[in-house]
Amino acid sequence: MTYGARVAAVRRWLEAARSVHRDRARIAEAVAASSGLTAEGVELGFSCLEQDASDEEIVALVEAAGEAERVHVILSANVFVAPLRAIALARAASSRVTVRPSPRDPVLARALVAAACDPAIAIVEEQDVAAIATGEIHVYGRDATITTVRERARAGVTVRGHGAGLGLAIVTRAADVGAAAEGLAADVVPFDQRGCLSPRVALVEGDAARAAAFAGALHERLATWAERVPRGRLDAEERREAVRWRDTMAFAGRVWAAEDHAVGLGGAGEALAVPPAGRHVLVAAVKALAEVSDAIAPIARFVVAVGTDDVRAAGSCAPAPARVSALGRMQRPPLDGPVDRRSTPSSPDRESPT
Amino acid sequence: MSAEVESDALHARVRALIDAFEQGRPMPEAYDDVSRDVVRFQGEHVPGYARLCAARGVDPGAVTAAAGAPAVPVDAFRVSRVFAFEERLARFAFRTSGTTTGARGTHFMRDAATYDAAALAFGRAMLARDLASPPVLVLGPSEPEARDSSLGHMNALFARAFGPPPAGPAHFVVNGALAVESLRASVESLPAPAIVLATSFALVHLLDAIGHARLALPPGSRVMQTGGFKGRSREVSAEDLREGVARAFGIDERDVVGEYGMTELSSQFWEATAVDPAARRGVYVEPPWARVVPVDPETLDPVADGQVGIARIEDLANVDSAFAIVTQDRVRRLAGGFELLGRAPGAPARGCSIALDEMLAAAQAGR
Repeated sequence: MTYGARVAAVRRWLEAARSVHRDRARIAEAVAASSGLTAEGVELGFSCLEQDASDEEIVALVEAAGEAERVHVILSANVFVAPLRAIALARAASSRVTVRPSPRDPVLARALVAAACDPAIAIVEEQDVAAIATGEIHVYGRDATITTVRERARAGVTVRGHGAGLGLAIVTRAADVGAAAEGLAADVVPFDQRGCLSPRVALVEGDAARAAAFAGALHERLATWAERVPRGRLDAEERREAVRWRDTMAFAGRVWAAEDHAVGLGGAGEALAVPPAGRHVLVAAVKALAEVSDAIAPIARFVVAVGTDDVRAAGSCAPAPARVSALGRMQRPPLDGPVDRRSTPSSPDRESPT
Repeated sequence: MSAEVESDALHARVRALIDAFEQGRPMPEAYDDVSRDVVRFQGEHVPGYARLCAARGVDPGAVTAAAGAPAVPVDAFRVSRVFAFEERLARFAFRTSGTTTGARGTHFMRDAATYDAAALAFGRAMLARDLASPPVLVLGPSEPEARDSSLGHMNALFARAFGPPPAGPAHFVVNGALAVESLRASVESLPAPAIVLATSFALVHLLDAIGHARLALPPGSRVMQTGGFKGRSREVSAEDLREGVARAFGIDERDVVGEYGMTELSSQFWEATAVDPAARRGVYVEPPWARVVPVDPETLDPVADGQVGIARIEDLANVDSAFAIVTQDRVRRLAGGFELLGRAPGAPARGCSIALDEMLAAAQAGR
């Protein structure tokens, strides 16, 4: 496949995305049922569906995709719009793509493939990894899923794993607390914080009082968001974790809680109590940006995205592979490659031994 | 009254309960009476507990019975300070196993006398009630090698209190390796019933090392088995491990006794199979100064009898830390005690935001 053909294939795929977005009302209910999001949450999620990309972004995506004889995409736990980028990457790499949708959340993948009418892309119901003889497997999901696929893949088949992660916010000393809280809330609410770009920890440069002011402001902004976009249902395990985390934070610091969210303020210098997904945010103070690396060291390898009021200043202390963007833009990374740029033991790309 | 003086008085009251138990006397005070004062004390001197009580709308000074005390999530020991004294007074720091997020839970104590009294009194009752001075063999590191381990502390305590083996060392894990030949020599030299204290994974390593051979203990000996595998050995079902251990040591399966303890506690829970012919395997009993209550994981209210809940554990011996904690272990009350059912099985999470369980894969509480 020529370079131009690959670029053209991605452009056609984006046309399919626009088509699905236009007709989203047809599948919104099914997406809500499978994702657990409210109708408003689904509509907000659709606003994060990539429908366009600049020439430079598509070139970057095609280059990141590489080339493969065949690509087998296995979609599992992810946010509902994730199939767009996953299949775009596969299609950019190959003219023979099979997609096994997530059994729990198959709606968007099927809709996109149907809208694309691209003979190069086929939906498969089952994917026996051990039977794949050539090409690449792109697997999305938990580390355990990726490990299983790697163990079962034949020699000579490349497995690209895209694992789970989280987002981090860094609020610099120069930030307006209210504006930063507004931006962060806009990043927390989409997908009810279940995406790997979703921020769950916010480090605020300054003293504990400033961190508390930020936490209070974030609480207010999340409450306002909840009026427009109520949180969807949480699974039993998510509800249990939420109770546990709120009580832990009440003990360790302070909690601002409402029905649809909670913001916890951690004690200065204490270990980070990373919250569960479901609109829960841990806020902690750092005296200076130079302390960010130490503060996040235990979770740095899980950080996929960093949102900040000062991309230049905060970007220098973000974990190297993480995408760095302005607060409020964390859920909308350009379509220039995989969302997750990490190359860590939890989600390494590797050639199977030959 | 200073916090220290008040704490000392509470420790004395709890030790009076322990003494009464050891001597077969009635409890000198009601459980709820002591818990009421411990909860009030912790509300006054553990700032985090005061905050937790406030968040739950509870005045710790107005709690009249143990059940009314909010329980501290064990995670609090990892991200906060759970003690009622000045940090400089801490003489012991027991830590949980490491986690992938770095922080380890720490249970600080300024005085281990109540811990020691509780552990010895109930341990002796469940493991060695009918044995005079059984030598103790520990399939674990010595206390200096595992200075921050509460299990290491308890094992060393038992070894000191009950007696060392007549020949050789008392501990058979050296530099992380099981000293099988040294253990064999010690076992062969035993003149009378002995006590073996071991983690489940150490026992699996031992069984793997000796194969079909036996290390026959004198009749009447007992083996304490505690903890899970924590990825440190292959996993073996409880039944298979018990059977294998009994065969290897040449003892009755009822003399392989399970113990359940946590770094965050000062008391332990034991199977009673060695001392009560009616006791069921897998059912743990509490000492009179501690209780395990299955609670709903969302409301934290007690569940109906026979229903499964997560373990809310009350421990009067935790005078200076947290009287009540809540864990993620599932338990069910049965006649005579409670059954341990392991961690709550989490539903596969939606989305690609990393799950806490995945992030804390190695966070199973260790001792």
